[in-house]
Amino acid sequence: MGYDMELTALILLPFFGGIAALFAGRWGRDAERWVAIAALGLALLILISSFFSDGDGRWIAIERYDWAPSLGLQVILAMDGLSGALLVVSLALGIVSVIVSWKITEYSGLLNAALLWTVAASNGVFLSFDLLVFAFFWELMLVPSFLLISVWGHGDREAAALKFLVFNAVAGLGLLAAVFYLGATGETVTFDAFEVAERQIPHGVQVLLLLGFAAAFLVKLPVPPLHAWLPDAHTQAPTAGSILLAGLLLKTGAYGLFRFPPMLFPEGFATLAPFGLALGAFGSIYGALLACGQTDAKRLVAYTSVAHMSIVLMGICGGVYFSLMGAGVEMVAHAFSASALFLLIGALYDRTGTRDLRELGGLQQNAPRFAAAFAVFFSAALAMPGTANFLGEALVITGMFQVNWIFASITLISLVISVVYATRLFKRVVFGKSRRTEALEDLTLREMGPIVLLAVATLLFGMLPQLLMGALEGAVEAALVPVTVP
Amino acid sequence: MPSFAALLPVILLGTGAVTAMLAAPRLPGLARWIAGFALVAACVALALRLGAPDGLSVLLADDRMSRLTGLVVCLSGLGSLAFLRPDGPSKEGPALLLLATLGGVVLTGAVHAASLFLGLELITLALVALFVLPLDRPALEAGYKFLILGAAAAATLLMGLALGHAATGSLALEAFGGREALLTFAAALLLAGLAFKLALVPFHMWTPDAFTGAPGAAAAFAGAASKVAVVTALVRLDAVGLPQVWALGLGTFAGVSILLGNLAALRQDGVARMLGYSSVGHAGYIAAALATGAASAPAAALFYIVTYAPALLAALCVAALIGRATRISDLRGIVWRRPLAGAAMAAALVSLAGLPVSAGFFGKYVIFTALIEGRAWALLALAIAGSALGAYYYLRFVALIFRRAPDPADPAVRWPERTLLGAATAIILVLGIRPDLLLDQIRAALP
Repeated sequence: MGYDMELTALILLPFFGGIAALFAGRWGRDAERWVAIAALGLALLILISSFFSDGDGRWIAIERYDWAPSLGLQVILAMDGLSGALLVVSLALGIVSVIVSWKITEYSGLLNAALLWTVAASNGVFLSFDLLVFAFFWELMLVPSFLLISVWGHGDREAAALKFLVFNAVAGLGLLAAVFYLGATGETVTFDAFEVAERQIPHGVQVLLLLGFAAAFLVKLPVPPLHAWLPDAHTQAPTAGSILLAGLLLKTGAYGLFRFPPMLFPEGFATLAPFGLALGAFGSIYGALLACGQTDAKRLVAYTSVAHMSIVLMGICGGVYFSLMGAGVEMVAHAFSASALFLLIGALYDRTGTRDLRELGGLQQNAPRFAAAFAVFFSAALAMPGTANFLGEALVITGMFQVNWIFASITLISLVISVVYATRLFKRVVFGKSRRTEALEDLTLREMGPIVLLAVATLLFGMLPQLLMGALEGAVEAALVPVTVP
Repeated sequence: MPSFAALLPVILLGTGAVTAMLAAPRLPGLARWIAGFALVAACVALALRLGAPDGLSVLLADDRMSRLTGLVVCLSGLGSLAFLRPDGPSKEGPALLLLATLGGVVLTGAVHAASLFLGLELITLALVALFVLPLDRPALEAGYKFLILGAAAAATLLMGLALGHAATGSLALEAFGGREALLTFAAALLLAGLAFKLALVPFHMWTPDAFTGAPGAAAAFAGAASKVAVVTALVRLDAVGLPQVWALGLGTFAGVSILLGNLAALRQDGVARMLGYSSVGHAGYIAAALATGAASAPAAALFYIVTYAPALLAALCVAALIGRATRISDLRGIVWRRPLAGAAMAAALVSLAGLPVSAGFFGKYVIFTALIEGRAWALLALAIAGSALGAYYYLRFVALIFRRAPDPADPAVRWPERTLLGAATAIILVLGIRPDLLLDQIRAALP
């Protein structure tokens, strides 16, 4: 066990860092950004140091204390390999998002605060095992990310932000109602997930409660037809917002699905999993096909997120070792690759003022560093062997073959389509000629830092899969559910 | 017999009202100070005796619940006073507000037909006068509607009390428990009378007009302080064990209110009008919890209304700051020009929508839990649907608060308003993190 408050610190450091960043503007130029980076960096150090402490079996650390005992509220924070990996993603992307928004001077105190609060709330989601506290952080995430889109976004940002907020807040009510039900129907009022998991819940009730949970998770994931908020939110969000949306918020949906349904409602999950597989299969094809038809680069990447997260959904609903492991790896891999693509497209948009694929091109001659960076993350997007994305998708497909060959083939088809959209994007942006990119400034040092970090992460986990897979082992074994597809 | 100390808040408010009324024509500024002082003194008197032993007279209960909710009524009254602007020619606003608060405090302790009626009517009559203070068309319309409907409700309530007396031979409310046919009629009429003050459908017609036509502070009192007192009365009556029709009627009114209130609020562009219709929905949640008869329902109802009060006060205060008939577009970018007003408005709306970190999140928690405990699945489904609608229309307004569109013309925020907005925001946020601070107090106050 680690020392006492490390997990709490992972939530509170970014939270209070955000409050400090809000007022840091008056201490000096860029002070709010340095405060943000310091808070996130410190949290990252604490997190990494906790990986070296002796764990308790699957758990790296567990913390428990009372919050509001009269409401049955407890703080139960627990970190296993899955939470740990996603926390690294969250803190790293937090730092990246602070760096990429360095040049935004408008209300920059609140901007950095919103970035930090998004990270703090999603850290809470990744750690909480008190279901009400989980739901609390789940809903809390919406508020700062809503601000990110609506204040610093592009185009019709208010409408996009409102759509994002309403979709997710309404879906969150399903989760809330199910959690309240679990709390109110026990022998004592408790939301302790470990205790709830021990209960014998009738099968029909399990299915209903699971539908409540799934509503929240599937909208956040998102899987068609619940994805309508995503393309607008991603496109209109500022670069940092897109990074946190794609890298973090979508992962909270996948994480929730990975963690709680198999743990709390194993039988209900086994019943509903085939529907999840079907939804995922549809989403993976639908997202990939729509991505092929986009001309806005950001929208294109947004639809690829739909496709990839649908594959994650299939991996989770497959319920076998390989598919779950694949889903876990893909969650981490997609966080890095999608945020890197948003970063690059954002940087390009800042310079050229357009994201239209028909007007872009010529990076290979005009900005070789840009072109090289695009090359790395295009290969990740089409799951080229050697990238972590390949590992994730290959594992999901392997697992799918154990469940049902039809779903496995659909996933394969989706992979083929991913080659189409990725090469199309690559060709339009990197090759050819464009007047707009003739005098283009190549990636600066400050932009290269995050890019190199994300590229190294993508390739490292692709080349040394045991690094990530070893960490995910415990969580995967806990999520195994026998799923039979009729 | 209750001691002098127990009656001190009532005495303070009463003498304060009379003094303020005398001072109003010549020294309107002084009248305000007197009202503020009387309210603060009443708050102190109530807070100091919070844990004192119970005493009971024929008319008024002197128990922990009456002191706690009385304190909330006085604090809400103080909040309303903070943004009661001297509109129009009349200057009696502060005195009337004190009278209404006095009615509220009486109502929180009402255990007898006389005190129940007196408390309710004191609120209604003072509010009618407060509503019409600006003496313009919308204000007169609001006051007129409130007066007519209020008179009808008072008559209904009186008839209910009379039937109760006929059935039991007593005017003490606790005697009204039973299953007799006459008592059934009594309970139905009592419910109708109280539903009017709580603005439950179909007795809600006065609400949207009051919120748009009357001065903001008066509407805030009708929505916050007065409802805290009425919910206390409902909780007391609920514990008596009234005939079946009580719970049935409460549940029906609740369901319809949740649905219609939220649907009507959905398309409103006026800030006050939206708050008015949505207050019907919020009253519906409270009535729904009470209708289930679940063990946690009284605490849930009181927790909900007490957390609702600061949110409504803050939202109406900001709306009143901008002007009368504030529209959604007037909120555009307000947080960048008036950070405190913008932040308070955002916190209030987020709390009303029930998102964390705000008291409203836990308000939703206690209400949903009471509905689940009471196995009221239909009402639960309606409450979820209502919250979903609420999330949409509240967040529409929040979205505009943060819009980048600076517009220099904005009124100044004076110190009482600043205090109110700061305090309301603090309460919303603190209870959003430590809801047990309030819930424990409420649970200790319930028998």
